[in-house]
Amino acid sequence: MSRSAARDAGDSPGHDTLWRLAAHKLLRDRAGLLALAVVGIYLLAAIGVWLGWWAQEWALITGSKWGPVSAEHWFGTNIIGQDIFQRGIYSTATAFQVGLLVAVLAVAIGALLGAVAGFLAGGWVDEVVLWLLGVIDAVPFYLMVAAIAFALADYPYSMHVAMVSTFWTGTARLVRGEVIKLRGLEFVEAARAIGVPGVTIIFRHVLPNTFHILLVKFTLVFVDAIKSEVVLSFLGLGVKEGMSWGLMLSESTLEFLAGQFNNLIVASSLLFGLVFAFNMLADALQDALDPRRAA
Amino acid sequence: MDVLRFALRKLLAGVPLILGVTLLSFTLMVHFGPDRTFELLGKNPTTEQIAELRHQLGYDQPFLLRYGQYLRELLTLDFGHSDATGEKVASLLARSIPVSLALVLPGFVLGNLLGVALALLAASCRGRWPDRLIMAAAVFGMSISFLVVIFVFQIWFCTSHGLDLFPVRGWGMADVPDYLRHVTVPTLAVVFVALGYNTRFYRAVIVEEMERDHVRTARAFGSPPLRLFCRDILKNCAIPIITRITFTIPAIVIGGALLLETSFGIPGAGKVTYEAIISGDQPVLKAVVGLTAMLFVAALLVADILYRVVDPRVSLE
Repeated sequence: MSRSAARDAGDSPGHDTLWRLAAHKLLRDRAGLLALAVVGIYLLAAIGVWLGWWAQEWALITGSKWGPVSAEHWFGTNIIGQDIFQRGIYSTATAFQVGLLVAVLAVAIGALLGAVAGFLAGGWVDEVVLWLLGVIDAVPFYLMVAAIAFALADYPYSMHVAMVSTFWTGTARLVRGEVIKLRGLEFVEAARAIGVPGVTIIFRHVLPNTFHILLVKFTLVFVDAIKSEVVLSFLGLGVKEGMSWGLMLSESTLEFLAGQFNNLIVASSLLFGLVFAFNMLADALQDALDPRRAA
Repeated sequence: MDVLRFALRKLLAGVPLILGVTLLSFTLMVHFGPDRTFELLGKNPTTEQIAELRHQLGYDQPFLLRYGQYLRELLTLDFGHSDATGEKVASLLARSIPVSLALVLPGFVLGNLLGVALALLAASCRGRWPDRLIMAAAVFGMSISFLVVIFVFQIWFCTSHGLDLFPVRGWGMADVPDYLRHVTVPTLAVVFVALGYNTRFYRAVIVEEMERDHVRTARAFGSPPLRLFCRDILKNCAIPIITRITFTIPAIVIGGALLLETSFGIPGAGKVTYEAIISGDQPVLKAVVGLTAMLFVAALLVADILYRVVDPRVSLE
């Protein structure tokens, strides 16, 4: 009974939903579309690496020390003769692995805890979640990463765990605020009045109404994650297996004095391109999904 | 009196937060942390030697007792001696925190002032090309990694591949020229990285205030722009600005300049923290985490009191 009621209350075809309006606005936003295309190209490069199509020789010594730019080595070779371009492309896959894993988990945890806390605002669950948010925000980020790396004893994903456990707080705060607004609205009151249990209300009626926040937050956490990966890998706290832009930048510090900048140029340009595209995409999504502007 | 009672209540409310932070970091870093027994002992230690060292390090005591010990250290600000250098942790931090402040403050102040200036320019030309240009540049700046900015500025300003004007590494505060020589490039890097974020933040806050009715009314009555900005806009923007600034301070004071200090070889608190992380120097790490948590609670308190100062509608109850 309650299910069909909920379905009937949904938007009928032909009605302008927030999502349809947003898609319409996004399709007219040239900068946003361009950003989406750039992210798509990066994703394609990463998928190619995962499927073994290209950049598989990133660890092999295929040339001489600091080889010049050539048809064989598009951006030269590094200090021991590995192809810099292949390493850069391979690192794209690492960046997506870090970004996707961290962003999906952090946003999911943030949404869940934020929604529960907001729905039960004023109660002890809310107090506990708020306390947890305060605690995590008060621990310096690098120390959190180091502490988790210690605790997990050389576990290769300790950096990911550390990022997830710190990055969910922003989403949780936003979602909590939104849910506090939502839970006072009539449709939640109606669901409660006909006896829908709290868990169902949160998952079926409240959380779907925060998806527009989650989508924007996802892109922002993704950017934070790949930017942090670079810094942490440089500091020796990050990626332990494989290759990443941070490790390339760390490698490049050995080459500055010799006037070799290929590692720096390739790693920082690829990093910049992806982060810039994601930032533009986040802006475009925010514009498109803002209900005040959609009106 | 009201303010004092309010402050005391807020400080009490901060106790669970400090307990949480210390418990979390203690569990992760000390309880699960590295066991230094065999690192410190010589070859082929006897069972008694092992037991004695473990007793010295406190490893044989129960969890709660060791945690209680940590809390006592935090209350008395006596964190013992660094494992790595043997120096007292308190004097190590007393020496390095002023360096960090001297390093970061100029960039912090300049970054915020320039951010406000650019945001005002953008907000006053809203929708036209200066606004678009500034906001595009802000996203551009936000997308460049801090690490890359540091490297490029180092190569550009400090090596023979560029202008070669400043030293690449090192620190000195003996006199003003010495200080300026060492602080300039890090400050430029900080300003460059922070400017994008600051401009976006201030523009969003200012635009929201500019749209309010009382601002339009004041403008219609011919209020001069500067007065309009200072009295009608800036004062109403104060709450988000206070929040932003007070909450960046704990991170800056301790450990915030970690990347900058390790790259430029500056002996500040960030470098101390980094070296403690790498070598697993627990007394130092415990001090840094504990002090950051305490500063965080202090920042919460200061922010709450400042809200009251700028906005009489905020109640202290």
